[in-house]
This record gives sequence, C-alpha cells and structure tokens, in this order.
Amino acid sequence: MNKKLKTQNNIITKNSKATENLGQLMAKELNGGETLALLGNLGAGKTTFLKGLAKGLGIKQTITSPTFVLIKVYPVKKKNIKQLVHVDCYRLPALELMAIGLNDYLNDPHTIVAIEWANKIKLPPKTIAIKFLHHKNPNQRTITWSKKFNKKVY
Amino acid sequence: MIILGIETSCDETSLVILKANKAKIDLKALTISSQTKLHAPWGGVVPELAARQHTENIIPLLQETLAKAKIKPAQIDLITVTQGPGLITALQVGVETAKTLSAAWQKPILGVNHIAGHLVSPFLSSSRWTLANKKTTWPAIALVVSGGHTEIYLMRSLNNWKLLGKTLDDAVGEAFDKVARMLNLPYPGGPQVAKLAQQGDAKYFDLPRPLLKKPGYDFSFSGLKTAVLYTLQKYKPVARGEELVANICASFQQAAIDVLIGKTLKAAVEFKARTIIVGGGVSANQKLRQQFQKIVKEKMPKVNLLFPDLKFTGDNAAMVALAGAVQNNFKVPKKLINNWQHMQANANWELWDD
Repeated sequence: MNKKLKTQNNIITKNSKATENLGQLMAKELNGGETLALLGNLGAGKTTFLKGLAKGLGIKQTITSPTFVLIKVYPVKKKNIKQLVHVDCYRLPALELMAIGLNDYLNDPHTIVAIEWANKIKLPPKTIAIKFLHHKNPNQRTITWSKKFNKKVY
Repeated sequence: MIILGIETSCDETSLVILKANKAKIDLKALTISSQTKLHAPWGGVVPELAARQHTENIIPLLQETLAKAKIKPAQIDLITVTQGPGLITALQVGVETAKTLSAAWQKPILGVNHIAGHLVSPFLSSSRWTLANKKTTWPAIALVVSGGHTEIYLMRSLNNWKLLGKTLDDAVGEAFDKVARMLNLPYPGGPQVAKLAQQGDAKYFDLPRPLLKKPGYDFSFSGLKTAVLYTLQKYKPVARGEELVANICASFQQAAIDVLIGKTLKAAVEFKARTIIVGGGVSANQKLRQQFQKIVKEKMPKVNLLFPDLKFTGDNAAMVALAGAVQNNFKVPKKLINNWQHMQANANWELWDD
C-alpha cells in the first residue's frame, strides 16, 4: 500500500476501516509543518480518515467531530511533531483563517493542521488537498490527494 | 452565599446573581442575550462576530443584572465564569471580564466547566434543589446532550462525577444539525428537525441505532447521519416533499432517542441509580422528554427523572453559578482571591479530563 501511496494519487477504499487505514499510512509520511485540507460532503469520510491519521501519529485520544468547537488540539510525540490541530469549518461562513485563530498553528514546523470543510476558507499556498467522494457502493469512497503529497514523499 | 455567574462560551451572553445555600436557592436576576438571529444569515456561528457581540453586551448586561437583583458588588461572595469548553474568542470575553471584576472588586473567582453546569442545571428549581441534598437522591446517571457533547456520567453527589461513556464521533445535537442541513432546513436546524418530526412517521424508515446493543456507554452518531443521507439520496430532489422530509425527521429522531434512552437506562440499572439527570441543549427536545418519562415510569418507577426547566437547557449563567458554588460545598477557599492571576480560557477543557 505504501508504494501505491507514493506513485499514485487516488484510491478507492472499500469501507470506513480502509479509509481509516489510509489515514494511518499517510501519517507516516508527515514530518511537521504540513497543512492538510480535507474536502468532501457530509459522511464522505473526512473525520474517519483523520482518526487513522491520528493513530499513525501515535495519538491515543479518540478523535471526535470538532464541528461545534471548531478547533481541537491533540498533543503528539512523533519525530518533530508536537501537536495535531483538527479544524472544522462546517459552521463557519467563508472566512479568513485569522478569524478562527489558526494563524498561530499554520507553518509551525512542529504542528500538523488538518482542516475539514476547508473549501470555505482561504488556505495557505502549500496546503495538501485530500478529496473524499461518495461512491455508487455506499460503503466505498473514492479518495484523491494532491500531487504535492507524492512530491514530498520523495 | 451570593454568586455572580458569567457565561460566554458560545453565542449567548448570560449573567446571573444567584443567592444559594444548601437549604435554598434564589435566582435574584438572570439575563441571557442570544445572538442566534445575528448568526442566522451566515448559516453558522461566526467567532469574530460572537466575540464582538459579547464584548458589546457584557457590561450593560452586568449592570442590568446587578440592578435587577438589587445587589452591590460588595455583597458578592464569589464570581464564577465558564472557563471552557467553547469557542475561544467567545470564552475569553467572559473570562477576562470576570478576572477584571475579581481584581477590581477584590472578590474570589472560580472558573467553571460548562458541562458541569449542564450536570447541575436540573436542580435550578426550589423543589428539585431539596432533592440535591438528600442522600437518597444519589447515585445518579447523568446524560449531557448538546451540539458539542454527548456524554454519560455517574454522579455520587452534586460535585462528584465519573465519565462512563461519550460519543466516538458526532454529538447528537450535531447530528440533528447536519440532518437539518441535508434537508435544507434553516439555521438553527436541530429544533426544526424536531418540529417537522411531529408530522412524520417514526417507523417509516428503518435507521440504525449505533452501539445500542454493544457493551459500554459510548455513542456514535456519524453512522446514523450517513444512513439518513443514503436514505435521502434514494429520492430525486423533486420527489422530496413535505411528507418525506417529515418521515425522515421522525425516523432519525426516533433512532437518536432510542440510543440515548437505551444507554442511559442500562447505566441506571448497572449502577443502581436512584436518579436520572438529562441536561444540555438537546434535553429541550419534547419527544426525548416524553419517551424518557414513559419508559422510566414503566421500568423504574422509583427513580427520579430530572430535566432542567426549558430556559436552563441551553447556555445560561445560572447553571454556571450553581456548579461553581457546589464545587467547594458553598465554601470559598482563600486561594480563589488571587485566582484571577492564573486563569485562562480553555476551549478544549473536558470535564472528564480532570
């Protein structure tokens, strides 16, 4: 699976566990300072993916939906990464990042920022976009990611 | 004891003067200024707007509250303020105001967890307050259900709680909100879903009751949310008439209620609870209340079932003041005088993390 991650930028996951596993695998390639934009409709798998990513970063706490709290911060002890910041823009109208206090976290080399419903806000230039699409088969999802991810892996 | 309570964790600014002791509680003045209309055109809460509104509201509301209560600052024994969880920009307005008052008036200050407020909210009534101090009321199982939280606690007294379970993904209020969004209902969506459900058939769609049959007291609503989405998608947009929408609302609401009641009752049986407490915004849901009342009467008639009065289901300062007052059993530790020097708002402060 790891080889595939590096050479292609899309995959069909057969169920939510597979989506979670993808997140866990992608976590291994992160070093700190990355901003991930998780794009997709309700129920497309954004938070599920992030649960896996968190597991890959060694986070023991349960990742829950930050829809109502907007931002949640989880401590991390992996490589140079000190925290995972989980943001959810679902309740926010189109806004600048500053308004929700994200500026402190972006571009910090020890922080990974993952933003759900990121299409609603103005994102920093190096953001890695990950798109989640529903599939004809209700259990499956089509997940694509920006080539920036592949580039950085190499 | 006279307590000034301040609550600004989300989009409601609320202040209270509460006079209370073990025997009696007396709500001298309560003000709640809601910003729902302000945020409605945006379809969601705007933290900058919320913070600005709190800042504009808080001093006039403070003056109004003190005047209504006919209380002078010198008479206040304790200042309590919601320190978290919530929106950081909103929380900070309340916390910094409270700190300033504490320093200026030389009054002790205590930061309170918003969820602890919801746990004590049913006792904000004279008749239920007498229950709070009776040994025969405890232990209790407390269900807190709101947009941001869905948690079950075992409480052995007003200021003693242990988390039994919580949601693994979406809170139930959030699920209501997202179902409303799928159905294009106006903000705030949750109450709209409950309203339309009245016209619908709760058995029309067979939706999952996630984790209901599994051991433990955790919840999961994201699977239910997706099930509603798939159900809706079977119908072309033009075919989604009033009847369909009502049936979806009713079926979804019933699935959520079944899980909430099922887990709560299971806990009540396991821990031999003498009381069941239900608090938080979703505790205002009439169907939830009715069905809880019916099933408790049938299956455990000796158990007290307590809901907050409707005005205390949402965010309000009265529950914050009460939670602060009972934390130290109506005593005020000396260290709270200088507490303002150490306090910071904490947006992710979880009650069960203490």
